[in-house]
Amino acid sequence: MSVELISVLLLGLGYLALLFGCGMAVERGWVPVRITRHPMVYTLALGVYASAWAIYGSVELASQAGFGYLAYYLGAAGAFLLAPVLLVPIQRITRTYQLSSLADLFAFRFRSRWVGTLVTLLSLFAVLPLLGIQVQTLSDAVHLLTGSRFSAAVALLFCGVIAAFAVLFGARHSHHNRHDTLLSVLALESVIKLMAMLGLGAIALWWVFDGPQDLQLWLEGPGYTAQAATPKLEAAQWRTLLLLFFAAAFMMPHLFHITFAESLSRHTLLQASWTLPLFLLLMALPVPLIWWAAKSTHETIPVAAYAAYMMSEHWWVGALAFLGGLAAASGTMIMIALALSGMVLNHVVLVARPPEARSDLYGWLLWLRRGLVVAVIVGGWLFAESVGRHHSLTSLGLSAFVGMAQCLPGMLALLYWPGANRKGMVTGLIGGIVMWLWGLWLPLLFDIPMPAMPFTPLMPVDAPPWYNVTLISLAVNIVLLIVISLFTRTSEGERSAAEACSVDAVIRSKRLPLEAATAGDFSTHLAQALGDEAASREVARALKALNFTPQERRPYALRRLRDRIQANLSGLMGPSVARDIVDRYLPYRHDDAPVTDDIHFVESRLEAYRSRLTGLARELDGLRRHHRQTLAYLPVGLCVLGDDDELLMWNQALSQLSGISGESVIGSRRDSLPAPWPTLLGSVLHAPHTPLYKQAVSLHGKDYFLTLHKAVLSGHDSRGGSVILVEDHSEMKWLEDELVHAARLASIGQLAAGVAHEIGNPITGISSLAQNLRYDTDDPALLETADQIQQLTQRVTKIVNSLVGFAHGGRPTGPLPVSPVSLKTISEDALHLIHLARSGEDIIFTNACPDDIAVRGDSQRLTQVMVNLLSNARDACQDQGSILIEAGTQASHAWWRVTDNGHGIAPSVKNRLFEPFTTTKPAGEGTGLGLSLAYQIINEHQGKIDVASPPPGQPRGTAITLWLPLYQQDDLSLHAQDTDC
Amino acid sequence: MYVYRIMLFLVFGGYLLSPLLMNGWGDPSVAWYRPFAIWGGLIALTLWLEQKRKLDER
Repeated sequence: MSVELISVLLLGLGYLALLFGCGMAVERGWVPVRITRHPMVYTLALGVYASAWAIYGSVELASQAGFGYLAYYLGAAGAFLLAPVLLVPIQRITRTYQLSSLADLFAFRFRSRWVGTLVTLLSLFAVLPLLGIQVQTLSDAVHLLTGSRFSAAVALLFCGVIAAFAVLFGARHSHHNRHDTLLSVLALESVIKLMAMLGLGAIALWWVFDGPQDLQLWLEGPGYTAQAATPKLEAAQWRTLLLLFFAAAFMMPHLFHITFAESLSRHTLLQASWTLPLFLLLMALPVPLIWWAAKSTHETIPVAAYAAYMMSEHWWVGALAFLGGLAAASGTMIMIALALSGMVLNHVVLVARPPEARSDLYGWLLWLRRGLVVAVIVGGWLFAESVGRHHSLTSLGLSAFVGMAQCLPGMLALLYWPGANRKGMVTGLIGGIVMWLWGLWLPLLFDIPMPAMPFTPLMPVDAPPWYNVTLISLAVNIVLLIVISLFTRTSEGERSAAEACSVDAVIRSKRLPLEAATAGDFSTHLAQALGDEAASREVARALKALNFTPQERRPYALRRLRDRIQANLSGLMGPSVARDIVDRYLPYRHDDAPVTDDIHFVESRLEAYRSRLTGLARELDGLRRHHRQTLAYLPVGLCVLGDDDELLMWNQALSQLSGISGESVIGSRRDSLPAPWPTLLGSVLHAPHTPLYKQAVSLHGKDYFLTLHKAVLSGHDSRGGSVILVEDHSEMKWLEDELVHAARLASIGQLAAGVAHEIGNPITGISSLAQNLRYDTDDPALLETADQIQQLTQRVTKIVNSLVGFAHGGRPTGPLPVSPVSLKTISEDALHLIHLARSGEDIIFTNACPDDIAVRGDSQRLTQVMVNLLSNARDACQDQGSILIEAGTQASHAWWRVTDNGHGIAPSVKNRLFEPFTTTKPAGEGTGLGLSLAYQIINEHQGKIDVASPPPGQPRGTAITLWLPLYQQDDLSLHAQDTDC
Repeated sequence: MYVYRIMLFLVFGGYLLSPLLMNGWGDPSVAWYRPFAIWGGLIALTLWLEQKRKLDER
């Protein structure tokens, strides 16, 4: 097979142009989001695990170890099969703390920037051989197809285009963690390499062989000897290979990034637990077919890895193998470059040169990363050209996988052993790395003889070097990690990080106060590290994510804001630098305030994770919710305050009473509550004895009387704080006051009845004397005076009788007369009586009642009503005031109105105007009984009273309208009949 | 964690017994696709467990 170089060049460049086209299509929204965000896209993107090794290295391994090549696929499948216990916990940590690489995760867990740097350097050295494989296979494939000596240059050209793609579509600061474009392109690459592999398998089975039966015949015949001669892997070696690929599946930098930083959700990751193994199964299936097909056509194959090119002379078979290899290599190179550049930036560059407050921080970081992307890919090409071509794909790949496996003990300790500490982890890792470098990596570079390993009794003499190095390096790593961790001290920071990372984590967030008092302070403080623009953007971004406003002051909200900013900065610069910046510029206040657990935060986390709880945990959570609802819906106001005065609960009843929603105040301090709650709650908190009964407060314009109870939360498991119950006793207080008032009225009534009785006798005497006076004189003036005295004494008698009647429960003192009463006459009488008083002489009274209106009733009592109304009107008017009496009829009733232009009636008095003892006059000037008696009298007359203050169309004054039944001719006859009966 | 004990046990057991997968190579009495059939069965089992988990979490 010999193809023109230009054809291969065009094929390769055409394929890479297709990737650019796909990237542009996704970028510009030409591909629907439901496709780019489909879980299958994520699974296919995870297929980047199947690198050029899967296309070529697996065939080479199959030729050397038979089905041993399956370890590459089954190891990864096993890792995803364990997704619920292995990958999901890692995903939880990486998403919570915005950790995008293995170095980020280790630096976060072991609270050391140097751990991150160590893991980054290890990744860099370990991944170089894998990167070299990708470049080398490209170069070899071009050479196989064309025989050209410029294959290395062509590979470099492809590397340049791949680097350009990575820079253009991958190296960017997206505030959305997931790169849809990148994932979609990787998914397309996975589809292409899968199609290529399945196509090659189909060619092998139906083109080279004549179908499955022909294959079986070959396996039983000519192929049998060749197969039987294939050495088998020892069981221990197989298991070790399986372990290496298991670790590689989620710890290789590019795979860690895709698995955790790019995953949509936990559900997507769990779905990949069967879809990725299915993808790998389909990728693995054609491998033996390709090898057998090649073997059936060529007795000896010079380089087993490229068997696909040997099995057929047709150029398009080679082109298919080339395309599959290019798809696998380009995807792996792009992702390795992106992942490694991020790690080197965060854990080497930024650690060596921390970011300063600069205006173009984002741009500076972006260009640094782009430079690193290009450097990594060029480094891969240099490694392939200088080192890779002297070694087989198997030895290069295994060297990479054994190197990354050194992180496996640390990863397992991170998840399952909170006792592991930084010293143990670093010592173990360095021990393992030294063994790996010495046993596998340096021999690649310097062609030095493979060193003799100690503990040979445990390992067969003829075992391959990778096997011995894996065992010895991991053993050293694990032993050092355990021993050093057990005998050295673990820092407090490490302990809390260990809790956060542990699978059975009990995350106890603390309620520590911050130096910054508002969200606005965050920007000012952060600007010292990030510059004004970046600080404002980061704070605004965190506020938006948390749905908080820039005016936020609640300590709880500020703590969440700090955590979010740290997580966001961690995604930008790595956890070490982010933690340093946040610790330095947004520090906690270390005063003497008690530090307790952040219960509200714990609750919100539990709510978020609720659907994932199972078994006993779910039952316990159900119980917690039940108790919480009991408190939330308690018909009595309830709030819980921590020892640091932070509000932990504010139930529904209290929200209704106070008009303050729980959501707006939970997490804030007591002193930041609206008045009068800080004082009120403070008084009960500091009171030596509770309850505090009927505390008078004004809430939203109304007076309330609240009773407050307090219970201090104490005990063995208590997290401190106080529970306060707030009972609304306003109604009870009002009823109590009414009761006291009623009792006062009753006693006054009794007193009034007694006084009336005592007054009755002298009044009778006065009346008799006035009668005598009439008989004893003919002087008209004296006679008139005697008449007036008698009229007045009669009026006094009536008033006294009314008072007695009122005191006896409002019963009328006698039957109501039904004689016709002229309203004009009564008005005249009342005016006459009013004029007797010496006050109000300059008030103008006008009687505008028509002559012909007569109502049914008692003239004396109606006069009493009118006198009271005129008296009140006169008192309300100023000098030169005017009072108008008018009357009219409407249907069967007459209206009788007194209108003044005085000061009117205050709204507060209007509702209880007719209650006894209601008066607006100064003490001693009014009894408050006048209108009450008038009301009673009009009621007895089957009438009603309307009050308008001010009257319609007038700016001031009062109009009191009495409605009384008109006198009818039938009334007298009816009355006569009643009397006869 | 107790939920995953059976799965952990199966995975660890599978890890120990997995070398048996290699036995089919070069043995005409064993179908060449046997390892893939076993693997397919394992995928089906995982799919079933995943569906069960989804129902549990509803």
